[in-house]
Amino acid sequence: MWCKLGLALLVILALGTFGIAEGNIKIGLFVPLTGFAAADGHSALVGAQIAVDLINAAGGINGRMVELVYYDDAARADQASAIARKLIEQDQVVIGISGSYSTPTRAAAAIFQQAGVPMISAYAIHPSIIETGHLIFRVGMGAPVEGIAGGHLAVEKLGAHRIAILSMDNDFGVSLSEYFKQTVLGLGAEIVFEKRYSLGESEFREVLSSIRGANPDLIWATAYYAGAANIVSQARELGITATILGQEGYDSPKFIELAGEAAEGVIIVTDLNRDSERPVVQQFLAEFQARAGIPADMVGASAFDAVKVAAYALAQVGTDPEDIAAAINGIRHMDDVVTGPFYAFLGREAIRPVEVQIVQGGAFHFFHTYTDPTIIIPPGL
Amino acid sequence: MAVLQQLIFALVLGATYGLIAVGLTMVYGILKILHVAHAGIYALGAYIALSVLQHLTPNFWGALAIAMLTTGLAGVLIYRGVYYYTLRRSRIVPLIVSIGIFTAMNELFRLVAGPYQHSFPAKPGLPTLITPYFVITSKQLLILILTAAFLIALYLILNRTKVGLAWQACSQDLEMAGAMGVNVDWAVALNFFLGSALAGAAGVLMALYRNMVYPTMGHVVAYKAFVVVVLGGFGSVRGCILAGLLLGVVETFLGSLEWFEFPRDAIAFLVLILVLMFRPKGLFGRL
Repeated sequence: MWCKLGLALLVILALGTFGIAEGNIKIGLFVPLTGFAAADGHSALVGAQIAVDLINAAGGINGRMVELVYYDDAARADQASAIARKLIEQDQVVIGISGSYSTPTRAAAAIFQQAGVPMISAYAIHPSIIETGHLIFRVGMGAPVEGIAGGHLAVEKLGAHRIAILSMDNDFGVSLSEYFKQTVLGLGAEIVFEKRYSLGESEFREVLSSIRGANPDLIWATAYYAGAANIVSQARELGITATILGQEGYDSPKFIELAGEAAEGVIIVTDLNRDSERPVVQQFLAEFQARAGIPADMVGASAFDAVKVAAYALAQVGTDPEDIAAAINGIRHMDDVVTGPFYAFLGREAIRPVEVQIVQGGAFHFFHTYTDPTIIIPPGL
Repeated sequence: MAVLQQLIFALVLGATYGLIAVGLTMVYGILKILHVAHAGIYALGAYIALSVLQHLTPNFWGALAIAMLTTGLAGVLIYRGVYYYTLRRSRIVPLIVSIGIFTAMNELFRLVAGPYQHSFPAKPGLPTLITPYFVITSKQLLILILTAAFLIALYLILNRTKVGLAWQACSQDLEMAGAMGVNVDWAVALNFFLGSALAGAAGVLMALYRNMVYPTMGHVVAYKAFVVVVLGGFGSVRGCILAGLLLGVVETFLGSLEWFEFPRDAIAFLVLILVLMFRPKGLFGRL
């Protein structure tokens, strides 16, 4: 009996070692597939899977197939840290990818850094994520860049003088608004109204009434797409005609579907240019629509790019963590990404043009691009 | 002008709070259980109406009627299929069961209809009222009229019918009511049917108002409705409606202030704590 068990154990062990030596390259992913963030998690998963399938269809990484190992973190920090351990110890992934929000990503980043395994955050933008350590990277656009670009856009391109600021009260919303506010004040505009609202809010009529009373010519409102749809449609319902300026949180076809007519003319600062003629963009947009059944969003695109960056580094230098980090830091002019091109990685963050899109005829379209280094490079670098 | 307009917003918000909470308070009044899955019924109403609009008929009223019927039956099913077997146990048992049902419903919505928000493609067909002092959009008008109609009907059922009398008897003493010839099983089932149908209607109205249906739409409702029930004085239908309106007014007024950055959903709990400290039977409770 014991002999048989021992034998079985030996076989399992042998198979395990065999698997590690000759098998696929494992990339780990944690995404919220249940709970309040399930929609974003689903988009991120689809985006990452498209990237993996494209890489494998093209022959894998130096002949080895890529395997995406993913778990549901429900956008919770405790689950994300448990998953990070599982990915590292049990699945032995060579690199981790966050397709989740800032809080779980911060928790997981600490574990990846500690274990000496590199990690790339797709769209979680809290500054402390990449401050965790030298193995933690981000492909999404940081809040400072987005806020500063928004400020220049509002004052210089849209000619706003009287600005109202409505901020979502979390890391994402507040840091965006901080940099936006500094920029517009520096450019001579006036803030006529400023308020935070809590995440998950869906009733904005009373605060929008107050904003109407302040008579702004532009409203900067930070939000995720569902909240954005509420803000925009309720503002138009109240007869507010001021330009509404949003950010990447609006960047989902669901925003346009939910806001309907009211979405027309809304301008957003983002990193995805759907009118781009780069083939990788058009291929991704078509593939995402086919798989997810809805048009692509920024979250899916960012997860796609995170996998692309990981695969690029793995193809260059193999699976050594320090080499991977060096390879990502050494990226220059990477064109094969959807939210790019990435000019470089500075301070472990992707540097790329800032896209400005406008909703016209029920779809996002090109409005403007910022490539000026003083705007697209995060302050302090 | 601004004040009147804000009052309209407050009324609409408060009306929906009242409509959701009234079913909960009816259940509590009779069975003394906290029916958390009620918020799942609310979301179910929105999903049923959405699928009727998408697949059966673009008619809003048809969708509302089918949603109310289905959610009413779902409420009865939850009572007869689950709560019925837990009533003789400690009150914590139905509570935990209820939370389980609610969570399962949320995940079921996600699995069946996907995690994304759906828009709600219905036009109520009412005019938008524009006066010099305030504007009432057609959706707001619909919510106000329908809520008023439902509540008047409920009032009549409670006070003018045998079923209403049976409920009042049951809420005073379930066993005694049974001993006196009230068919308790039927009375409770009807109670669940009506309360759930109202929650379903609230779900449809909110889906229309916000143009959004999504799996976790019941989350905030789940706990806010309890606050309304407690404020209204456990089991009092009239108190519950007044508490809903009051909450709507307080939230809207505070929300319109530029300096007030406290989360809206926390206001209800702040009020709850104050009330429980100084008036534990609720604002309008008789106890």
